[in-house]
Amino acid sequence: MNGFSFFAAGILIYIAVIVFIIGMSCQIVTWVRTPRSSVALGIFPKPKNKGIRFFKLLKDAFVFPHSAEIDPWMWAFAIFFHFALATVLFAHFRLIREFNLLESVIGPESMEKFAAVAGGTMGIILLITIFFYIFRRFFSPYKELSVFEDYFIVFLLIVIIALGDHLRFFAKISVEDYRAYFQSVLMFQPSFPEAIAEKGSKWVLTIHVLFVNIFVMYFPFSKLTHAIGTFAVNTVRSDA
Amino acid sequence: MDDIQKQALLDVLKSKINRQLLYYLDICARCAICREACHQYAVTKDITYLPAYRAELIRRIYKKNISSVGKIFPRLFEGKEIDDEKLLDELYRAAYACTGCRRCMVYCPFSIDTAWVLSAAKEILNAAGRGNTILGELAGAAIMKGENMDIFRDIIVETLKDSENELQKRLNDPEATIPIDVEGADMLYVALAGTHTIIPAAMIFNKAKKSWTLSLFEAANYGYFLGDSKKAKKISDRIIDEAKRLKVKEIVITECGHAYRVMKFLYEAWAKEKLPFRIRGFVELIAGYVKDGQITLKEGNVKIPVTYHDPCQVGRNAGFYDEPRFIVNSIAEDFRDLNPNKVRNWCCGGGGGLVAMPEFEELRIKTGKLKYEQIKKTGATIVVTPCENCRLQIGNLNEHYGMGIEISSMMDFVADNMVI
Repeated sequence: MNGFSFFAAGILIYIAVIVFIIGMSCQIVTWVRTPRSSVALGIFPKPKNKGIRFFKLLKDAFVFPHSAEIDPWMWAFAIFFHFALATVLFAHFRLIREFNLLESVIGPESMEKFAAVAGGTMGIILLITIFFYIFRRFFSPYKELSVFEDYFIVFLLIVIIALGDHLRFFAKISVEDYRAYFQSVLMFQPSFPEAIAEKGSKWVLTIHVLFVNIFVMYFPFSKLTHAIGTFAVNTVRSDA
Repeated sequence: MDDIQKQALLDVLKSKINRQLLYYLDICARCAICREACHQYAVTKDITYLPAYRAELIRRIYKKNISSVGKIFPRLFEGKEIDDEKLLDELYRAAYACTGCRRCMVYCPFSIDTAWVLSAAKEILNAAGRGNTILGELAGAAIMKGENMDIFRDIIVETLKDSENELQKRLNDPEATIPIDVEGADMLYVALAGTHTIIPAAMIFNKAKKSWTLSLFEAANYGYFLGDSKKAKKISDRIIDEAKRLKVKEIVITECGHAYRVMKFLYEAWAKEKLPFRIRGFVELIAGYVKDGQITLKEGNVKIPVTYHDPCQVGRNAGFYDEPRFIVNSIAEDFRDLNPNKVRNWCCGGGGGLVAMPEFEELRIKTGKLKYEQIKKTGATIVVTPCENCRLQIGNLNEHYGMGIEISSMMDFVADNMVI
C-alpha cells in the first residue's frame, strides 16, 4: 500500500470511526441533557395508545407520508435516495463476508450477477438523485435557503457515489480482493492485496474511502444528524 | 449595539432553548418541502415566509453563537451575529407575519414546529426593543386593566345590565342572568371584549341550567401574539387568579383559538404549576350539551348551504374536528366541508394577531385568497367558525373579494337554532 492510500484508506478509517462515535455521542448527550419543554407540541389527531404511537413514529421517520402529499417529487427523490443509500450501505457488508444464506439459495454465480445488477441499479439511482439534490439548490427558494454545508455534503456524496459507481462498473476488482482489503482493515493492518495494489483503480478506491471518511467525520456536526435525530424529533409530533 | 446588549440578547436565546428547539435547530435538512404548506409562501413566493427560512434566521444566530461547531466554522452555516440589522429586520417580518397555524409541521418530514422556533425569535425581538408596537400596547393595556380592576368593574357591571335585558328577551325568560363573581360556581366563563360572545353563551348556559360565572377579563392574550411570555403569563394570571378566588371547577374559554391554546397548552409551562381545574373550549362544551340533551337543536333548521372552517388552534392544534361538525351538521340541512379540511385545512390568514397589526393587512388579504377560493368552491353561503381571529379575517375577505357570505360563530349558530 502506498503512503497516501495507507493514510486515506487505512489510518483515517479508524480516526473517522472514533470521531463519529465521540461526536455523535456528544450530540445525543446534548439533546438528552437539555431540558424538555413541558408544552406538548404534538399535532392532532394524536395516536390513541403507545403501540400506535410507536408505529406512527416508524412510519413518520421512514416513510413521512405527509410530505408525499404536498411535494411528491421531492418526496420520491428522497425516498429513492435514502432507500438506495441504505441498501448500498448494507450491501457493503458482502465485502466483509458473503451473504451465505442468499448464496446458498441462488448459487454463487447468480449471487455475483445479483450483486452486479442490484448494486449497479442502486448506484445509478444514487447518482441521479444526488444530482437532483444539487440541481434544485441552484433555483429559488432552495438557493436563498441553502448554506455552505448543503453544497459541501452533496459534493462529498457526489464524489463518493461517482467513484463507487466507477468501482462497480469499470474497475475489475473481485469481491475476494475487497474482502482481503476489508480484512486487513479489521485486523488493524490496512493494506491492499496485490490484485488491487497493481491496478490504477486503487486510486479510485482510495479516494472513495477517503471521502467516506470525511463524510463520516462530518456527520455528527451537521444536519446529517437528521438520520438519527428523525426518531427523536418525530416523537414530538405525537406529544400529548 | 454594544457587547453587553448583544450578550443580553444571546442570553434570551439561550434561556429559550429546550430539547424540542434544539432538535429543530440541529435537524432541519433545508429540503423546503414546507414551501407549499405555508399559505403565505404559497401565495407570495417571498423567501421570508418560507417556514424553513424563517427558522433558518434563528438557526444562523444559533450556529454562530451557541453551537460549538458553528462557533469554529460559522461560514459552513452562514452563521450570523445577533445584532445583524438586516437579519433582525427579516426576522421581524418572518416572526410577526407567522400566523402560528403550524400547518408546516404537518408536512415536514421531521415535524419541525416553525412557530415554536419563532416564539424564541419574538422573545429576542422584544428584548432588542424590536417587538411589535401595537401588540405591545394592547398587552400593556390588558395588564393595566388587571392591576386596576376596581375602576373597570363598575363599567362592566353597567354594560352587563343591558346585556341581561337582551338575554331575557331572547330567551323569553325573566329569570335568566349573567352572573359575575359567583363563588363556588362550576365554571368560570371567559369571553371576549364586547357582548357578542357573552349573550349567546349566556343563552346556552341558562338553557342548559348551568352553574357558571362570567370572568371580568377578556380571553384574548396579546402578550402571546407579542411573543413576550412574561407579559402573556401576567395576562393569563388575571383569569387564573379569578378562577382560584372563585373556587370554580373549570375554566371555559370562549370561541377564541389562541386563548384556548394559551390556557390549555402553554400556561402550565409558563407558571411551572399544575392547575387545580380543567380548561375547556366552548365548542367541546356545546357538543356535550347537545349529546346529553341539555339543549335541543332545531334539526335541519338552516336550509342554505353551510360550511365549517377549522381554526388552526381548534383543529390541528387542539383536536376538535368531530364536535363542531356534529353541531353544524345537526342544524344545517346542507353541510359542505372545505377541502382540504381538519388537520390539512388552510389557515384563514389572520391568526397570530395579524388582524390587529395594520402593517400586515395587505399580506393578510392577499394570502387569504386561498381561504376565499376554498369557501367559494363549496358554494356555501354561511361559514361557521369558532375563532374570533378567523371570523374577523374571513369577514375582511368577504368584503374584499365580494364573497357575499355570512360568517357566524358556533355559539351564535347554536343560540339562533336551538329550541328556546
